[in-house]
This record gives sequence, structure tokens and C-alpha cells, in this order.
Amino acid sequence: MAYSVHLDNFEGPLDLLLYFIQRDKIDIYDIPIAQLAGEYLEYLGMIKALNLAVAGEFVVLAASLMRIKAKMLLPRTVDESEELMEDPRQELVDQLVNYQRFKSAAVELGELAELRGAYYPVGGMELPASNGNGVQEYLQDVSLFDLMSVFREVLGRMPSTEPLRMAMEPIKLDDQMSVIRRALDSEGKIAFKEILLKAVDRHEVVVTFLALLEMVKRQQIVVLQADPFGEIMLQGLEAQA
Amino acid sequence: MTEAMIDLELLQITELLLTASPEPLTPAKFNQVMDGRGGDLETIITQLNDRFEQQARPVEIVHVAGGYQLVSRPEHRHYLQKLHQKSGRLALSRAALETIAVVAYKQPITRGDIEQIRGVSSGSVLRTLLERGLVTVKGRDEGPGRPLLYGTTSAFLQAFGLAGLRDLPKLREINEIMGEGEAPEAVADAAE
Repeated sequence: MAYSVHLDNFEGPLDLLLYFIQRDKIDIYDIPIAQLAGEYLEYLGMIKALNLAVAGEFVVLAASLMRIKAKMLLPRTVDESEELMEDPRQELVDQLVNYQRFKSAAVELGELAELRGAYYPVGGMELPASNGNGVQEYLQDVSLFDLMSVFREVLGRMPSTEPLRMAMEPIKLDDQMSVIRRALDSEGKIAFKEILLKAVDRHEVVVTFLALLEMVKRQQIVVLQADPFGEIMLQGLEAQA
Repeated sequence: MTEAMIDLELLQITELLLTASPEPLTPAKFNQVMDGRGGDLETIITQLNDRFEQQARPVEIVHVAGGYQLVSRPEHRHYLQKLHQKSGRLALSRAALETIAVVAYKQPITRGDIEQIRGVSSGSVLRTLLERGLVTVKGRDEGPGRPLLYGTTSAFLQAFGLAGLRDLPKLREINEIMGEGEAPEAVADAAE
């Protein structure tokens, strides 16, 4: 039995990095990447030691931290205009800075919701639904999402349509052989075409044909054709005998 | 009697409309109901609020989601909470607040862009916000795969007590935010 523990502290890898940055009073625009990467990996190691699943996003960021760290170790070339090549940390810094703005906006929104919660709307009675006030009334407050969820609900409510499976009537070679034999017994000679016409489906045609071949092999019948493209006739040998 | 005095009947009608309206009463709706003879709703609201205060009424009118809504005064929230058996406050997780913040400021926005900013997958939290009617589908992006674009709803404005999107708190810059926790120390440093 595995226990799942939810660590509520961090919303994601960016949140975790910001925590380190804030705690260690790091200048976000000049991150000591080796130090930060070290701390980050240590934290991931701890999560793993606790046998908790590490979300994919955390692993992805660990990889980008290592990539940035490696790039920082390489000598940085100065291009012709004497400008430094882009700092490998830049993309991460931009992402962190942007995320931090929304993170604190979320806190402010939370405070607004808290304030607003003290005011209860008064009144606002819903009148009983009336008939015939037109489309307007029916379409009030319907969003695309509402339509999508209703559609999904309706689809879910539909009886699931399993493809209709017809049990294939097993047609045995022996059975077809006796059918042919009986036909020959009563009629003596029979046209090949006619025998196949009795078959109801492709499967039966095939088995009937195989039965014919088998009977020819066992020398129970002969196949005769008077002239090219003429009627192919079957004749029982026993009947002849 | 001042010139701004609005006749009693108009005040009464407006109060009635505010009481009966399930949604915040917008100036457009007000004009429609009054056949364009209602006058300036904002002025009427101001007068109504003044009167409510003079008469020590337990309600006031707030400007929210592009309209006006009659609400209880906050000092009475305890009783209403017991009456409704629930808090008027919107209970949202941190993840939900973060996501709705991103949607509110960046709308219309795709799920991919939300995830890019937050650094975590946000599908399930977005679904919760959709189900609670705080976020809605606003259309489709023209980009590859034509992903859905999300935006906030009137219910969002109401839940956060905002008159409109322009009333969202200003996004602060990182320096202000990062400096916050250390404010006392910064003062101490300056004193040295």
C-alpha cells in the first residue's frame, strides 16, 4: 500500500526555485546557478527518498538547470560587436520573473475574494420559468463550455452501441459433402453453378467448393465439361457404379 | 431640495430593480427597463447609498461586474453565513488562484500559455474553474491545432468584487515583490 503525500508548499518547480531565491536572498538577475541547481537537486532527492512521485515538471526543470550550469562553464565568446552573448540564464530568469508577478497577483486576488466574501448579495430572486419569452430567456448565461459539457453528458447517456455481431453458422466440410451427395443421389447429374446457387453466403460458397474438391480427390464424383466455357456438370461415381 | 434631488419614485423603482435582479443591474438594463427615461444610474445609486446610510439600513449598493448589486453590510455577514450555511467567500486553492490570475491578466489565453507561465500542467485546475463558471471559452486561437482560448466571466468579477477587468490590481514588478519580506532589514541597513 503506497501512501501519497501531498506537499502543498510548492505549486511547481518555478515556485520552488523562487523559494530558494527568496530564502537565500539571491539576486534574481544574477543567479548563482551551481548553488541553486545543487539545492534544487537535493530537494528532489529528498522527495524521492520519501518515496513520493516527482512530477514530470520538476524533472524537466532539473534538466534545464543542469544545461544552464554546463553552458555557464563554457568560455563565453564575445562576438564582433563586442557584446556579450546572451546569458544562458536569461530564459529561466524571464520565466521566474514573470511567474512571480502572477504568483503575487494570485495572492492579491485571494485577498479581494476574501473581502468580497463579507458582502452577501441581497435579493436576486429567480422567477419561476415562464413559457414563451423567446429565445433570449433560454440562451441566457449559456457559454460554449456549458454546451460542450451538456453535449458530453448526452453522449455519455446514449446507450453504447456495440457493433452487432452475428454468430457465424459453422458450415462443415462434411455437411456440404453430404448435401452434394444427396443432390446427386436424387438427380444423378447436377450443374456446378446450381450447387453453388444454393449457398447463402460467400463462406458457404467456399466450403461447398472445398467439399467438391475433396469429393473429387476421394473419387466420389467426377467433373465433366462438354465443351469449352460450357456448363460444368457433376456426376456421382457411386451413382454411376 | 437640491437640483440633484431625484424624485422618490425613481429611487424606489431603482431599489426594487436592484432587489429583484439576479445579476448586477447594468446601466443598459436599467435604461431598457425604464424606457430610456431613468436618467443616470450612477447618480441614483449614490443617492440611494446615502439614504441607506442615513436610515441605517443593513444593505448597501456596490459597483461590480459592470453593474450595481445590492449587498449586505459586512458587519452582518455572520448571520447570513449561518442562514446560507456557507461562507460567501470563494474557496479556491492556490493553484486555482494562480491560474485564474494568469487568465484574468492575459486573456484570451490558451492552456499552453498558462502552463508556460506557471511551469506546471494546469488542465485539471482549468476544468474546475470552467465548471465553477469563473472562466469560459472565448474562442479558438489561430495557431497550430487551433487551441481553445480562455477568459474570465462576469461571475469572476462578482466573486472578486471587481467592477470590471480594469479594476484588477496592477501587476507589480519583481523588485517590489522581492523587497517586501526584507523591508525592516532594508531600513536597518539604511540607518547604519
